[in-house]
Amino acid sequence: MIGSIMKFACVIGLAMMAAVHAAGLDFPQTFVEIHAPADAKKVTADFEFANRSGKPVSVRKYDAACSCMAVKIQNGKLRYAPGESGLVRTEFDMGNFSGTVDKMVALWLDDDPADKPSVKLTVRVHIPVLVTLEPKTLKWDLAGDGAPQTIRITMNDAKPIRVTAVTCSSPAFRPELKTIEEGRRYELIVTPTEVHAPGLGIFRIETDSALEKHRIQQAFAVVRKPTAGEAAAKP
Amino acid sequence: MNAPGQLAVISVLALAAAGGTWLVTGPPARVLKCDPAVLKHDEVCLEQVPAGADVVWVDARPRAEWEKNGVPGSVLWNLDPTEDMSAFEAGMAARAAVSQRVIVYCGDENCGVSRQIAERIRALGLGAEVSVLHGGWRALSEAGRVRNSSPGP
Repeated sequence: MIGSIMKFACVIGLAMMAAVHAAGLDFPQTFVEIHAPADAKKVTADFEFANRSGKPVSVRKYDAACSCMAVKIQNGKLRYAPGESGLVRTEFDMGNFSGTVDKMVALWLDDDPADKPSVKLTVRVHIPVLVTLEPKTLKWDLAGDGAPQTIRITMNDAKPIRVTAVTCSSPAFRPELKTIEEGRRYELIVTPTEVHAPGLGIFRIETDSALEKHRIQQAFAVVRKPTAGEAAAKP
Repeated sequence: MNAPGQLAVISVLALAAAGGTWLVTGPPARVLKCDPAVLKHDEVCLEQVPAGADVVWVDARPRAEWEKNGVPGSVLWNLDPTEDMSAFEAGMAARAAVSQRVIVYCGDENCGVSRQIAERIRALGLGAEVSVLHGGWRALSEAGRVRNSSPGP
């Protein structure tokens, strides 16, 4: 009798394991990486899937958690019989983004709890950075020497991009633009005029980039008490 | 013993085991747990941040959610293309110039935006320590550290 119960328990257990495995859709790829051109306005990424389980699966809800990402399921079909396949199409609005951006899409199937979607898809978009500022922030210690510091401005486009103007939000910092190679490399030399009071300056660097999102750049200058980590790092 | 009888025996045994587990370990935990030992390198548990600590809270959720129930005094920085990223940068520079710690949160542990925002803040090079809150807004809400409205940045 015990042996009979054990056999029955094994059958039930295996059936339950199969049911758990069958609870979802099979996505061969849940991560897509895209290198977008600098002037792209939108990029599209597709995720194929199939129901390889033995029972129908429904997509109850899907969400991209960002208004910049539109998500559609092919033909609006939300219920998939065993063996059926489908496609999730995501469309990312590049807006003012540059650099690397990850966008996530979550899909809730059948009985997924609200905080545990069973499918998470990621689209990683690399958007060229045509103008780089290094460093982005200049820092001076309060009551320090106030020596001039430099931000290097580098253009990373095939066509030249010129700096057309530099302004600062605060009179506590004096910027001086130096052209190293017209349309390619510049230096912004900044001298604080006051280091005995905390201060923040925001530099607005205007360029003639053909792409609007690269036209205005920002850099910062700060006079402040050094953080504990900065103080410890000093000799 | 026939099949229904076997099923009944197995069900009774399973129920007894489940009941015993409930009695010994208590009901299943529904609240978010944060174990500092298993945190990612840039994460913090809310328990590690005392209420009233000098922290710039950054809300990485959509603007409507931040306005509805963000941390009081928090600043908004999300990846919504309709938002002004330059304004986010400038606002953060102003706050981080006087605070040495920045913590970013988004909706919950499923939201990946906060880590991207943290990277953007670090890239500004303001010198502040930038972390991501494990559990995001859900952890703050369970701890009663959000209100029904946030002051603007």
